[in-house]
Amino acid sequence: MTFEVEVEGRIRTIVIEHGDNPSSFRVQIDGEPGVVDAVRAGDKSLSIFGRVTFLRNGGPEKGTLRIGAAVQVTAGPAPGEGIVHLNGRTIRAVINGRRRRAAADEGAHGPGDVVVAAPMPGRIVRVLVAPGDQVTARQGLVVVEAMKMENELRAPRAGRVKEVSVVPGASVEAGCVLAVIE
Amino acid sequence: MRVLIANRGEIAVRVIRACREMGLPTVAVYSDCDRAARHVMEADRAEHIGPDEAVRSYLNFSAILDAARRSDADAVHPGYGFLSENAAFARACVDAGLTFIGPAPGAIEMMGSKTEARRAAMRAGVPVVPGTEAALGLDTAEEELTAIAADIGYPLMVKAVAGGGGKGMRVVEDPGGLLGALRTARSEAGSAFGDTAVYLERLLPRPRHVEIQLLGDSHGTVIPFVERECSIQRRHQKVVEESPSLAVSPALRARMAAAAAAVARAVGYTNAGTIEFLLDEDGSFYFLEMNTRLQVEHPVTEMVTGVDLVQWQIRIARGERLDLEPEQALTPRGHAIECRLYAEDPDENFMPSPGLIRGLRPAGGPGVRDDGGVSAGYRVPVFYDSLIAKLVTWGNARDEAIARMGRALREYQVLGIRTTIPFFLWLMQEPDYLAGRYDTTYLDRILAGRQGPFVEVAEEDAALAALAAALDVYFRAAGAGGARAVNGPRPLWTQIGRREALRG
Repeated sequence: MTFEVEVEGRIRTIVIEHGDNPSSFRVQIDGEPGVVDAVRAGDKSLSIFGRVTFLRNGGPEKGTLRIGAAVQVTAGPAPGEGIVHLNGRTIRAVINGRRRRAAADEGAHGPGDVVVAAPMPGRIVRVLVAPGDQVTARQGLVVVEAMKMENELRAPRAGRVKEVSVVPGASVEAGCVLAVIE
Repeated sequence: MRVLIANRGEIAVRVIRACREMGLPTVAVYSDCDRAARHVMEADRAEHIGPDEAVRSYLNFSAILDAARRSDADAVHPGYGFLSENAAFARACVDAGLTFIGPAPGAIEMMGSKTEARRAAMRAGVPVVPGTEAALGLDTAEEELTAIAADIGYPLMVKAVAGGGGKGMRVVEDPGGLLGALRTARSEAGSAFGDTAVYLERLLPRPRHVEIQLLGDSHGTVIPFVERECSIQRRHQKVVEESPSLAVSPALRARMAAAAAAVARAVGYTNAGTIEFLLDEDGSFYFLEMNTRLQVEHPVTEMVTGVDLVQWQIRIARGERLDLEPEQALTPRGHAIECRLYAEDPDENFMPSPGLIRGLRPAGGPGVRDDGGVSAGYRVPVFYDSLIAKLVTWGNARDEAIARMGRALREYQVLGIRTTIPFFLWLMQEPDYLAGRYDTTYLDRILAGRQGPFVEVAEEDAALAALAAALDVYFRAAGAGGARAVNGPRPLWTQIGRREALRG
């Protein structure tokens, strides 16, 4: 079984196959083979031991994972998103995100458009831009109030405001489109 | 005595714990979205008080008093926030024959007005930050305002009389900015507190925020406690507190404690309260305001004195005598630090991160105290503030408390929502924080000057996380490794596995 897993902005191709005994698996990380022994330790926990090589910064330098770890894994809030807790860090892993994004991009907006959506439900306090405005990356677009705080949502990149979909005072749900940058 | 807790989240859980230790039955109240909240689960019984919006539930007097009547409660603990500093609510409780676990309504009223509180401090002989004695009249002529401001000196602050939480506050650097700042502060104060009254105060450039907890009983005894250092603030909101303060010597402690007690005695204060001071670089201190309730950061005081402040609140409300040793309250044993774990994403400019908590494992072990307010399976709502837990560590000395905090933060697992844990992991290694070189401007300054994620993930960990995530989905799809979902369906995560299984 092959997975494309995005962690910390890098996509790694992971291949998993059954090994010689029930808890043994032949794996590949970006084509580098290894063997791990893995069992479930409860619904949200995996115990993994083994030795796997991987390519540093996409290669050619190799690193070695000497794994002897209990790793917490649970499903995340977004489709295909998993949350991994190891070594005191909470790390987000998105499985096959590239494929899903490609499918999503075939949606309503043009190929260069960036949709700015509400990350959480809230109330629109201020709208800082109007359609036609040129914006720079990280420029504030809309201020949403949630959890007793005002939060400024910023442009993910520079561009022109194609559409503003909300007005001050409006209530929005998570995922609700606030503005579109082209 | 049956105690109704007119609050939610971690502070409701904290009060329930105190009541249970005293053998007192508890009543929780909840809004629609809090039905399955932890404080509801842990109370002996629970009463529904209305819809999600706080004004219709946790701020709704009559719904809460009805709940008290229905549940046959004898006393009301207001926690902090919500109705805790609302004199009319305290009075309504008393009128309904309930014991209000807090100060008398008159004391709440007086100290709730910043200008009245300043006058009370001055009467008690306690220095206040130089500023206007009363609210500025709306009809004060421009020339007069300019003269008053010049008298106080720049830079100065415009502050809301009814203020709190950094709202209705404006810094004025020079005379040119005065009138504009007055206008915006008035309008902000009007919408936040329904009161446009503002006053002026000199701005200390690099003060520390140091506060004195105190308890007063109804027999005239007032006991001040060792100080709390609360200078680590983001946008005027405290995020880390510790006790004792590195900037306070035993002699200064004695003077600050005596000043705090003098203010409390001057107004006949009872129950738990806190006097906030600004401590200048030269060691002089100024009365800032009084909080007439239990503070969020009360656990650090409890950790270094061994006194249970919430139990004392209840005992004082029952009319008991405060028979604590004043020496015990003023002498810190070791050092305690509190980190406020918020449902916010520190890597996205502390954006709120409400949602379903899919997994939760709080930290434990030596010297660790978790004042948590949520549980796995609970959906953190958007309607209230984002504090999900207070993580407190204790050590014989400050460096031991910091090392424990670093360890506990790494242990603490919250899966499903973002929290401020990575930010605290970074802070607990920040050189100026470690050295105790900070004031109230420190955190905003240092945050403005840094970039990148708070916790760097090593490539090894990233690769292992990718492998673990893939194995998890593989197990779920193939049923290998004894995999069986015991916590119900996980549609999205599972779907991917299935799809991959079909692909082969």
